Amino acid sequence: MTQILTLEKRTALTGIGFVTPTVLIIALILIYPIIQSIVLSFGQSSIDGFEPYRFVGLDHYSKLMGDSRFWNALGVTFTFTALSIPLELMFGIGLALLMNETFKFKGWARLAVLFPWALPTALNTLIWRWMYNSDYGLFNAVALQSGLVERPINFLGDDVLAMVAMVVVAVWKTSSFMALIILAGLQSIPRDLFEAGRIDGMNRWTEFTQITLPLLKGPILVALIIRSMDALRTFELPFNLTDGGPAAATESLSLYAYKVIFDFLDFNFGAAIVVVQFLVIFTMSLVYVFALRNKD
Amino acid sequence: MNNSKLYAVGLAAVMAFGAPITALAQDLVMSIGSRGYGGMVERNIESFQAANPGATVEWNKVSDVPGDSRKLYVTGLMARSSTPDVFAIDVIWAGEFAQRGWLEPLNGLIADDQIAAYNPSFLSAATVDDKVYAAPLYLDGTHLFYRTDLLEKYGLEVPKTWEDVIMASKTVMEGENNPQLYGFVSMWAKIEGLFMNWLSFTGGNGASFFDADGNVAVNSPEAIAATQTMVDILYKHKIAPDSILTMRPNDARTLFQQGRSVFLMVQDFVHAPLSAADSPVAGKFDFTRNPYFAGNKDAHSTALGGWLLAVNANSENKEAAAKLVAHFTSFENQLSAALDENRAPGRTDVYKAPEMETASLIRDFGANFAVGVVRPSAKTGSLYPRVSEAMQIEITNALNQKKTVEKALNDAAAAVKQILGQ
Repeated sequence: MTQILTLEKRTALTGIGFVTPTVLIIALILIYPIIQSIVLSFGQSSIDGFEPYRFVGLDHYSKLMGDSRFWNALGVTFTFTALSIPLELMFGIGLALLMNETFKFKGWARLAVLFPWALPTALNTLIWRWMYNSDYGLFNAVALQSGLVERPINFLGDDVLAMVAMVVVAVWKTSSFMALIILAGLQSIPRDLFEAGRIDGMNRWTEFTQITLPLLKGPILVALIIRSMDALRTFELPFNLTDGGPAAATESLSLYAYKVIFDFLDFNFGAAIVVVQFLVIFTMSLVYVFALRNKD
Repeated sequence: MNNSKLYAVGLAAVMAFGAPITALAQDLVMSIGSRGYGGMVERNIESFQAANPGATVEWNKVSDVPGDSRKLYVTGLMARSSTPDVFAIDVIWAGEFAQRGWLEPLNGLIADDQIAAYNPSFLSAATVDDKVYAAPLYLDGTHLFYRTDLLEKYGLEVPKTWEDVIMASKTVMEGENNPQLYGFVSMWAKIEGLFMNWLSFTGGNGASFFDADGNVAVNSPEAIAATQTMVDILYKHKIAPDSILTMRPNDARTLFQQGRSVFLMVQDFVHAPLSAADSPVAGKFDFTRNPYFAGNKDAHSTALGGWLLAVNANSENKEAAAKLVAHFTSFENQLSAALDENRAPGRTDVYKAPEMETASLIRDFGANFAVGVVRPSAKTGSLYPRVSEAMQIEITNALNQKKTVEKALNDAAAAVKQILGQ
């Protein structure tokens, strides 16, 4: 008995030994900045020490509540997330099902699907910005020459079109990421389940809704959590595509915080924005995690 | 490891560790872009080192994109870094950097008569509490570029007023009947350049950012009328493409260079690419001062920009650094920059030099700068970036017809007043 306990203890010690360096690094580069941001958001100071730290309580937060630009940025962030995630999921499942079939050049097809996701967002976005351009962009050249429109469409200069343009790039880029995770899930579904289903007289659609989808719930939720977190803190996309324009129609929370911090050098107010954003993402993660826990 | 390899490693180690130790009182680091001031940087550094034996200047080449170099500077300045000793700053940062205590006052370090020779409107942008914090290096500003061949073809005069520009654009566009040709392009994306544009338009109608008592006056009747003209150029007269609302200076320049616009209003840096040998409009364009509104002949409508040299407040060699600034902004060196690199001098006496008779380009730029309007950066100091951004947002709202001009400018006035605590 004692033998087993010491073995358990030894295993635990080994485990702790392996985990400690990681935990320390996480504490250093993750938890410290989070605490520092929270501290900054409750005070007034300048980062170079020109103005010493002074506690101001909830001043920045109450200012935030009355800041129409903050509410606009929050709305933009939610709209972008709500539009892009379902579309990405739809295309992601479709692509995964397609890649799961056997056909010629399957390897190349998979590579092609992953390509947009593998390229850096900033680069992708610049390419798309050129294609959207109303004077020498691809889309307007096609639309003008085919006679669909008479005057070039200013994709990035219109509130609604700019948001649509942003969602299109996000869906184009990250559907393949969703597909990758879902494909991994698809491949772990035992084949004999489908055989059993076929014997029971299932058609392709009932097969999909009765077998595939329920068994994909886990991977889908994982993909949803990761992508929603990404979408809620989207930065490179609006920064490179529209710079938040026209006016502030595509200005996400991250972009607004970036401007406040790096352009206006107001670190304290910026920290308050970041903390609120952190809470939003944290809450969303909790919702997903509980959804995941209760259903399984 | 053989001997020569050992030697190389040893040498590298000495170089790596020796650098800070050998940083004597005369070693200076200077940060300035590699293109902005052309070949003059290298020449000035060489002549400075020749005139001051023992002094060395290391040229730290920073980005020529202002937003990028600003981020670099700010990071170092906030950490109270002692380098660079001397750095080039955009005219709109001078007030802000000075207020934050990042710049060393130059009074006493640079001779008073030299300071007196600097361009006064630029000096005012770098003056806080009667102290001068930076020396003007070169100026640039917005001009109205136009196609000489097209104006000639339709027998049109070089436009002086916005009314002329609109009329001429319509005449040429109708006559050419080419859907690819526009009348007017400029930088109306939500950038600093949009605010410069707006200052040009409103200034040309006799409006100003602050009234005589120092109150925010961005919603004055003159400003509203001028902004309405900007909106009308897009939707009523239809002489500008919709894409003008996403154009940065180079986008507008590209369109004009492709021969797709009659007029272009941007800064003078476009003159070089437009007149390059492979430019389709080379020899077919010229420029004039920014238009004004009929009846406002004396209105200031050239939005001024440019660069100044400043000394880091935490520099360990402030005197030598100021000497370098004085060297760059001396009469002789400013004259050379004007003659050889087409850089508009930051001091007024250079324009009167006899050699300038032949530098027609610089003289023409200079004539337009005489009707210049500086951005309200000195008065707003560290709040300038916010003020400019608030203006950009409301001007964009008006140009996108999301708000009426009057509503947008009233909101802009309220926002600016809130930022400034007025």
